[in-house]
Amino acid sequence: MTARLVVAVMELPAFRAVLALLLAMLCTGILVALAGASPVAALQAVMAGAFGSIDRIAYGLNRAAIYILGGTGVVLCFRAGIINIGGEGQIALGGLCAGWAVLRHPGAGPMLSVTSGLLGGMLGGLAWAVLAAIIHVVRRVNEVVVTLLMNFIAGLLVEVALHGPLGEVGAGFLQSPPLPSASRLPLLVEGTDLHAGILAAIAVALLAQLLLRRSGPGFALRVLGESHRAAAYAGFSRIRLTIGLMALAGALAGLAGAVEVLGVQQRVVDGFSRGFGFNAIAVALLAALEPWATIPAGLFFAFLETGTRTMQRRIGIPASLVVVTQALTMLFVLAAMAGAGRKGARSARPAIAG
Amino acid sequence: MPAASGLAGHARSHNLLELRGIEKRYGTVLANAGIDLDVPPGSVVGLLGENGSGKSTLMKILFGVVPADRGGIVFRQQELSGHTPAEAIAAGIGMVHQHFMLFDGMSVAENVLLGLGGRGRLRLADAAMAIRRTSETYGLDLDPAAIVGDLPLGSRQRVEIVKALMRDVQLLILDEPTSNLAPPEVARLLAICSRLRDEGRSIIFISHKLGEVLEICGHIVVLRDGRVVARCDGSASRAELARLMVGRDPPPPLARAAHAAGKPLLALRGIELSMSDTASSGSICFEVREGEILAIAGVDGNGQHELGRSIAGLQRPRAGSIRLGNEDVTRWSVGARVAAGLAYVPADRATTSLVPRLSVAENLMLRDCTRPPFGQHGVLWPSALRRVARAAMAAYAIRARSGSMPAGQLSGGNQQKIVLAREIGRQPRVLVVLQPTWGLDPETTGFVMAQILRLRDAGAAILYISSELDEVLALGDRIGVMAGGRLVDIMERAHANSDRLGLMMGSSAHGSAA
Repeated sequence: MTARLVVAVMELPAFRAVLALLLAMLCTGILVALAGASPVAALQAVMAGAFGSIDRIAYGLNRAAIYILGGTGVVLCFRAGIINIGGEGQIALGGLCAGWAVLRHPGAGPMLSVTSGLLGGMLGGLAWAVLAAIIHVVRRVNEVVVTLLMNFIAGLLVEVALHGPLGEVGAGFLQSPPLPSASRLPLLVEGTDLHAGILAAIAVALLAQLLLRRSGPGFALRVLGESHRAAAYAGFSRIRLTIGLMALAGALAGLAGAVEVLGVQQRVVDGFSRGFGFNAIAVALLAALEPWATIPAGLFFAFLETGTRTMQRRIGIPASLVVVTQALTMLFVLAAMAGAGRKGARSARPAIAG
Repeated sequence: MPAASGLAGHARSHNLLELRGIEKRYGTVLANAGIDLDVPPGSVVGLLGENGSGKSTLMKILFGVVPADRGGIVFRQQELSGHTPAEAIAAGIGMVHQHFMLFDGMSVAENVLLGLGGRGRLRLADAAMAIRRTSETYGLDLDPAAIVGDLPLGSRQRVEIVKALMRDVQLLILDEPTSNLAPPEVARLLAICSRLRDEGRSIIFISHKLGEVLEICGHIVVLRDGRVVARCDGSASRAELARLMVGRDPPPPLARAAHAAGKPLLALRGIELSMSDTASSGSICFEVREGEILAIAGVDGNGQHELGRSIAGLQRPRAGSIRLGNEDVTRWSVGARVAAGLAYVPADRATTSLVPRLSVAENLMLRDCTRPPFGQHGVLWPSALRRVARAAMAAYAIRARSGSMPAGQLSGGNQQKIVLAREIGRQPRVLVVLQPTWGLDPETTGFVMAQILRLRDAGAAILYISSELDEVLALGDRIGVMAGGRLVDIMERAHANSDRLGLMMGSSAHGSAA
């Protein structure tokens, strides 16, 4: 009886997640100790960095918004079997276009300024993703290759723009002039940096969940992800779905870029979004490719990042160890979830074998 | 029932293989409930049973794919337990699965070479020579340089047999080996089997086709619900075996209402198919009328799939026109044809007509998610879907715990029932159906055929394409034969018989060419 209860508890996803976190903390602690620092101090630093003050929490939530938006687009693409790893470039171009759209109308009011910035960002990301989709569909170049390589081009495009038309004259750093304050995203809590992006991100993730489960196109993309032949048989056009999905994912990534520029940076800075796109892929995988689950996964990843960054600053361990810590935590959590999935599949499958 | 002399009670050393009390449980289902099986050297043992009777589980245990919960295996005086398939192969057991384990993009020689594994350095040229030699010895008729994906199913099966022979197997397991072969190819396979037997090798022949089992097998073991219900020899009668297998008398022959066919609902004019190989496709013309079944026989791989795909809109024919009712649909999309009343059941359940990881209910709406009762304007109606799924599961006796269960967890027969429920449930004017009984047990086969007849009696036009002569003869109002991408002939039901059809199928069939 007790044994059964123990087994039942161990199968709980929450229990597995907590166990994964504890194991990750243990491993991190060992690594930190090996690096000559105190594991306890390291943990305190992580917690302080993630949740230590209103400002830290605001910072984490703002970052989570980016990951949820980008991750949701990735989830939708991956579910359709389209391996879009171009989030990095789509976010960068989204941010660039948002900045450009805002700077074009310097005297605009908040409504127009924010709207044009967000729209500009979405269109920028969308255009970049659709271009990749067209190359993939028409020229039959593998989408991984196209989207990956276009990331580099996007990064260079941002540089070119900041060197030229969008650059701030006389700045020591590659960046645009500051955006007019009208373009700033509305704040959720006055006196902090917490902007409305997180709410938009949560709404987007939930809408994507609805799209996937309760809409014809969502059903079509799930079928496409399972089998191209079945999709053709069902009458779904692979080309139309691919382009449509890439457009959506690109728009969401572009929105993420715009949110970062309008909500946090207030200017376009070279490399402002470095790593965002790839982290969004990690978030999508951590969410087990369920749109709603990008919300906890994005929050988790964002706070993990802000916490470990502080750990690095405070106790002076090498920067590479921070990345190792993040990766370890991801690995443990993914392993715990993969184990749960396999277990479920094993016990369910043979039940009706005949 | 005559107890076969070599099967029980003899000294251990006489048998090539002995299975003792094999037991395997999956969840609540006892797939194997203490099965004993002996295979003497130089014998063909038939393993008969419906789907779900435990045949596949038993063979998986023997081959080391899954471990038995209880019981022992002795092969050539050696105890096998906890073995892997690699160890089973090394011990001299070969298995030809129903779905071949071949790399389609590679040549015959490359496939055989891969199958040989780490046995030293064998060059491709040597392998090719060895294949040619083996192929001649056993009459396999294989070209080592041919690409497997281009070969008809019969030849692919012979590639699997060559793979096994090159490893010098003593025991060859053939899992449903004839389910996609035409009569001439079945005869050829049986000849190969007897040749192997005469050499002293043994074969376990898994099937639910009684005729061929009785023809080739010296011993027959009948399984039902995971137990051996009978052991007999080759002199048992067909009716007796059928009764043993299903545990009751077989269903009476299908009743068909006699009525005149109405106006043409499906008409093909001068269709030339785009075939995967360069073989010429002739010009195909036919009509299927209201309340009529046009059944088309033929060896698999002679253009049947291309014909089905062309009518369904999944591929463009090179020339010709297709009419559905009064409309020319030659350039219509797949979805438009479905909406116009064209239902299509392709042969390939695993990747086309069914999505294994989607639920039973979702598979039921696979081609209809844009229409009521499933949804409208891009919005799905989940409660309606659940209702439809419940109704369909009841009407078609789909055995699943619930509509939300993944379709891939169901047996092949239940999967095919989902496909039929979807395609017939739409009440189509025209149904095109390919090999709908592939891999199904006799009971489900009868069910499928009855459903198709009922649709005919309701006034639909049906094109029934199959390589099973029995089904074609049982269902067709008119019967045609396809060979080499052409429609050889169409005759009235009264003029057709299996000899005549078999002759036409074999005449210019791809299947017999290497």
